[in-house]
Amino acid sequence: MGMSVLEAIAARRPFRLGEVEAEPDGAEGWVVRGPDGGEPRQVEAEGSAIRAAVRFDALGRYRPLSGARGMPGGWFVRCRSREELEQVLETVYPLALVHIRQHSEGTLRVVGLDAVLRRQTGRYEVAAELSEEGRRLAVASVCGACVRVPVWAGRLPKEPESIPCPEPCSVFVSFCREAAIWEREGAVPGRDDPSVPFADFEAEGNALRNAYLRARAAAPAGEQR
Amino acid sequence: MKRGLLLVGHGSHLNPNSSAPVYQHAEEIRRRGVFDDVRTAFWKEEPALGRAFDGWDADDITVVPVFIATGYFTEQVVPRELGLSGPLSRVGGRTVRYTGAIGAHPRLADVIELRAREADAGPDAALAILGHGTPRNPNSERNIYLQAERVAARGAFREVTTVFLDQEPNMRDVLRYTRAETVVIVPLFVADGWHVDETIPEELDLEGPETVRNGRRIRYAAAVGTHPSLADVILQAAEEALAWG
Repeated sequence: MGMSVLEAIAARRPFRLGEVEAEPDGAEGWVVRGPDGGEPRQVEAEGSAIRAAVRFDALGRYRPLSGARGMPGGWFVRCRSREELEQVLETVYPLALVHIRQHSEGTLRVVGLDAVLRRQTGRYEVAAELSEEGRRLAVASVCGACVRVPVWAGRLPKEPESIPCPEPCSVFVSFCREAAIWEREGAVPGRDDPSVPFADFEAEGNALRNAYLRARAAAPAGEQR
Repeated sequence: MKRGLLLVGHGSHLNPNSSAPVYQHAEEIRRRGVFDDVRTAFWKEEPALGRAFDGWDADDITVVPVFIATGYFTEQVVPRELGLSGPLSRVGGRTVRYTGAIGAHPRLADVIELRAREADAGPDAALAILGHGTPRNPNSERNIYLQAERVAARGAFREVTTVFLDQEPNMRDVLRYTRAETVVIVPLFVADGWHVDETIPEELDLEGPETVRNGRRIRYAAAVGTHPSLADVILQAAEEALAWG
């Protein structure tokens, strides 16, 4: 494993974090770049401008999950200081630097899926009914589409750019709710519709829904509920 | 002692506008430099409520839920996810002050009046304060009526009434509930999101900021929650919480 993100920031060395890259710029500054793609365009180092650059994918669909793979590319931000760099990274990947630091120090508070699903009420209470196999496939489908590494599912961040994820997020819980209903109703995969938003799991054209249902259909019969 | 302010919002997996006012007010309050740290957390966006205190070095954090209704989210979900035991809690060695929904704050009536005036509401106009409401939760309407009473008590408009998107008295009957020639509808919502921008104008068949129907003018204001002066209300709620001791 190479130099960690925190070490690279302290040493003013280039680094990757998830899908972005950062490199020193001048005596104290930094440049943060999104993935390659499109005409390079500068984005102001302000929360609203950065969110506008990263919260929509190349098809214009809203990305509610900051770590979702497929961040739009071509943008870059010039930061005047380390503090500004950290603010930019916090906007792009909320809490990523905090969780990297806590993970490296051994102080990251990890909360597992059982605990998270057990505390759901109202609309999300049904998520706790999802079978063990359903939960495993949900991790493969949803977390497989995210750059964060689900430490809560027993995975270990192995690459320097990896971001540890300490607790199932609301997108994951929302997916588990739908997956529990799919299990109950015997849902079948549909055709992916690129116009369907990333987290609109109730829509038949949702890519994550269909990836999950295809994987479920391919699983050995004994593992299905 | 370091003091922090946490603005909590609902957020959305489907609508990017849902969280925009929370970010907007957090940025404004951050700019004023009243708190050492100002952060945001959401039920459906990031950082999640359950991780809202990760990485803070503040000893004393005031939490203001940017919600209109006092109900399920502000009384169950947010306290549960943040680990709060009441208005004043100790969480991870910190003091945490929890103000309750901003929708109940007395100064929100100022913002409603500002929104109405921006939509040209004069002394002869009828003001219709529009809330979401739901027959599933009777608490949902409480702050809408509360704020309508406060605005009415000021006597700035000829009539002040209350209508709802999802319960009676329904917004579709707004002309029946008012008599003035000009009716100004002010949506008491946090965001200019799906409801304020789409479902309400569609259901009321509005033609823009002003619609003439049966010889009467209906004016439609922007959401209360996106008004810049909501930051003042949030700050006042936070300052009141700091006085708790």
